[in-house]
Amino acid sequence: MKLVTAIIKPFKLDDVKTAVEALDVHGMTVSEASGFGRQRGHTEVYRGAEYTVELVPKVRIEIVIDDDRAGDVIDAIVGAAQTGKIGDGKVWAVPVDSVVRVRTGETGAEAL
Amino acid sequence: MNQQADERQIIARRSDLTGSERRALLSDATDVWLRGLFVDAVESAKADASQFSLVAVGGYGRREMSLGSDIDVVLVHEPSALRVEEVASSIWYPVWDSKIALDHSVRTIAQARTLAGDDFKVVLGLIDARVVAGSTELGESLRSGILGDWRASAGDRLAELHATAMERRSRVGDLAQLLEPDLKEAYGGLRDVVLLRALAASWTVEVPRTSWAASVATLLDVRDALHVRGLRDRLSMQEQDEIASDLSDLLGDDASADDLLRTVYLAARDIAYVSDVAWYRALRATKKPASLAPRVLRRLTRRSSGSSNGPERVPLAEGVVLVEGEVSLARGAKPAEDQGLVLRAAAAAAQASVMLAPATVERLSACTPVNEPWNNDLRQSWVSLLGAGRSSVPVLEAMDQAGIISALIPEWEAVRSLPQRNPMHEFTVDRHLVETTVHAGERARDVSRPDLLLVGAFLHDIGKGYPGDHSIVGADMTRDIGQRLGFSDDDIAVLEILVRQHLLLPDIATRRDLEDPATIDAVLDKVPDISTLELLHALTWADAQATGPSVRTSWRRRLIFDLVNECKARMRADESDERPEPVEPTGVVEALAETGDATLRLMPADDGCLIVVSAPDRFGLLATVAGVLSLHRLQVRGARIRTSNGRAAQEWYVRPLFGEPPDERAMASDVRAAIAGDLDVAERLGKRSEGNRSLPSGAAPKVLVDTSAANHTVIEVRAHDEPALLHRITSALVASDSLVTGAKIDTLGSEVVDAFFVTDRLGSPLTADHADAVRTTVQATLEAR
Repeated sequence: MKLVTAIIKPFKLDDVKTAVEALDVHGMTVSEASGFGRQRGHTEVYRGAEYTVELVPKVRIEIVIDDDRAGDVIDAIVGAAQTGKIGDGKVWAVPVDSVVRVRTGETGAEAL
Repeated sequence: MNQQADERQIIARRSDLTGSERRALLSDATDVWLRGLFVDAVESAKADASQFSLVAVGGYGRREMSLGSDIDVVLVHEPSALRVEEVASSIWYPVWDSKIALDHSVRTIAQARTLAGDDFKVVLGLIDARVVAGSTELGESLRSGILGDWRASAGDRLAELHATAMERRSRVGDLAQLLEPDLKEAYGGLRDVVLLRALAASWTVEVPRTSWAASVATLLDVRDALHVRGLRDRLSMQEQDEIASDLSDLLGDDASADDLLRTVYLAARDIAYVSDVAWYRALRATKKPASLAPRVLRRLTRRSSGSSNGPERVPLAEGVVLVEGEVSLARGAKPAEDQGLVLRAAAAAAQASVMLAPATVERLSACTPVNEPWNNDLRQSWVSLLGAGRSSVPVLEAMDQAGIISALIPEWEAVRSLPQRNPMHEFTVDRHLVETTVHAGERARDVSRPDLLLVGAFLHDIGKGYPGDHSIVGADMTRDIGQRLGFSDDDIAVLEILVRQHLLLPDIATRRDLEDPATIDAVLDKVPDISTLELLHALTWADAQATGPSVRTSWRRRLIFDLVNECKARMRADESDERPEPVEPTGVVEALAETGDATLRLMPADDGCLIVVSAPDRFGLLATVAGVLSLHRLQVRGARIRTSNGRAAQEWYVRPLFGEPPDERAMASDVRAAIAGDLDVAERLGKRSEGNRSLPSGAAPKVLVDTSAANHTVIEVRAHDEPALLHRITSALVASDSLVTGAKIDTLGSEVVDAFFVTDRLGSPLTADHADAVRTTVQATLEAR
């Protein structure tokens, strides 16, 4: 199994969801994230407090998936999240040792 | 299993009885059982029954036993009683064997009273003591001894008891707002009912008589349903549907979890409101008001300390007085005839951070419904109430408990305690609207129309009580409400946009590409100008603050901020240079044409009067006239000032703080004397007491400088209104050597938005340094308390 993690532009979330659902992937974790890559951030003043951290708002997506489907999921995410402009984000995958579904106690691929 | 436990199960499931009948029957059955155990115990120990009393305490003492309740009992005995331990064991063991939870103690009266002196829990349990078996006299002596001690010491102990209640409130939350409420521990729950009984029993406080007994029964019925299902006192989300269907007697057939929660919330609000009032009074009665009394109250209390003829009545507004820390109606006030009184009293209470007396709230409900469209007095008071920040919450709650808000705005009824069963939301719809309004007040200085921001915040989710998209439904309702509240067509259009589009900015900011010009177009299509965009941005921020932690993230705020900035940049680029010439009021035009000495004319106008002053222009004239108006206790609601060819024309829209407008001739004479230097306005104002000065709302005052005009510099002031504020601002302008050539003064509720057109003494716009010095001086004046 693999944990696929993607950092994308927030407005691309709906497109990515649609793309991975089309691959019959029915679970993902989504969280708000901030960061910077080559895009860097920019400084603003808002109500007297300066955003000096140079962090750009992004969305973080996490999907645990069978090894043989990880490539398709990554391709789907990249395809859906791409605008061709700087700041489109990153996708990476890491191996997962074990997964347990809390409700039933199922493990491994059964738990996905 | 055993007979007792079985019998309790049967009683708890009897559908032919009401909840209170079931609880009483459960208590009675327990009494019968324990009485038998007591008789057997005394007999087998060969003890003297007259030296013992088995006393039920707490909920069992009140005959409010539920299936999951412990059996709370005290075995009271005379100090001389023999074989006490034997008697006690003979009673307790059969109860333990039945596996019914037992909370027990064995004490003499003296021991119980000593313990009660150290531990509130003992007091709270024992004031409901009821003799089950044994000596009635002994049991009653215990109860009367505890009550006597409590009444003697309550004055010293209430503050501590309040602190424990508030600690529990901050830990567990308000029952009326929790998605998974704890019926016992949350504020407004059963624990607070016990405290209310203790407060009433202390004789230090008058606990308001409302329908709270029915609300207590509602909470007990719901708790019974939980206990029958083997659950404790917490109404968790996954069980709410089942519990709702169990409670068809209470909720009707086919009741949903929403119906259940709403019923629970309304009951809890009832109890919480009575608790709020009781604690407010209790803390005042215990002579330790420092932590509770707001600054204005302490000041007013100090002022009134010399009185010997009953409680001092300090006037706060026309027909409204402060008496013993509570806002009441003045002796001559006539709620049935004076329609503005209801909101004037509410605004005065909120602005002074004091309680609206419950009896006054009841009397004020006679003011409603009011004539529509609302007059300016009603509308300004409403905005002032909404703009009072956190202090408005208890006042709005008191009004809502009396049905006043629903009478003023009938659409409100559908959102009252309407649950939002979604972890994203911290509040019910109505409370969310109130909280959004409180947060909007924090942004009042960031917008040019704080009144529209506050009203828009209060209405933005009003459509949630009705079918359909709540933004669209709410916008349609807002159009009607705006008309009834007497707003102009232009203002109603803005309010409608605020309600219809209150989700626009977060939706677009999080779901669209900000670099795509079409994204900005999508906002510009729906928001016509920068002023409305700023209002929408402030509302969006306040809405998020009042929703919950998952929504008020800096991540989301940043995306919206970037979107608004992009939109503003486009709007400024698109802005036409051709601005329409402002239309001068007739009074100003006529006054400019006058010659000779200063004149003053006073004319009646909608809920106030118009004053037109014409005078030869001189340095500081505006400050002088503003000061004279304050001396005559006139509240400035608006003004337009122009100067031309050495003549100054001022048209003031004012309202007397109390009573009738002042005499025209006296005012004209004072204006002339002040101009001639024979009347020192600043000195006279300085001597005047500041007793009725309002407290500012949360946001700091703001002074903005606009250098874009060719002939003058605009100094815009956004601040909380207070007596003589305009005189102080204009005096600061004089002190910083700037000449006021025109002004637009607007008081919106309790917020002022004043624009002064100033030049240097030579008639040129201010240099950057001079403008900065003016801004600093005015800001310092506003912040000086």
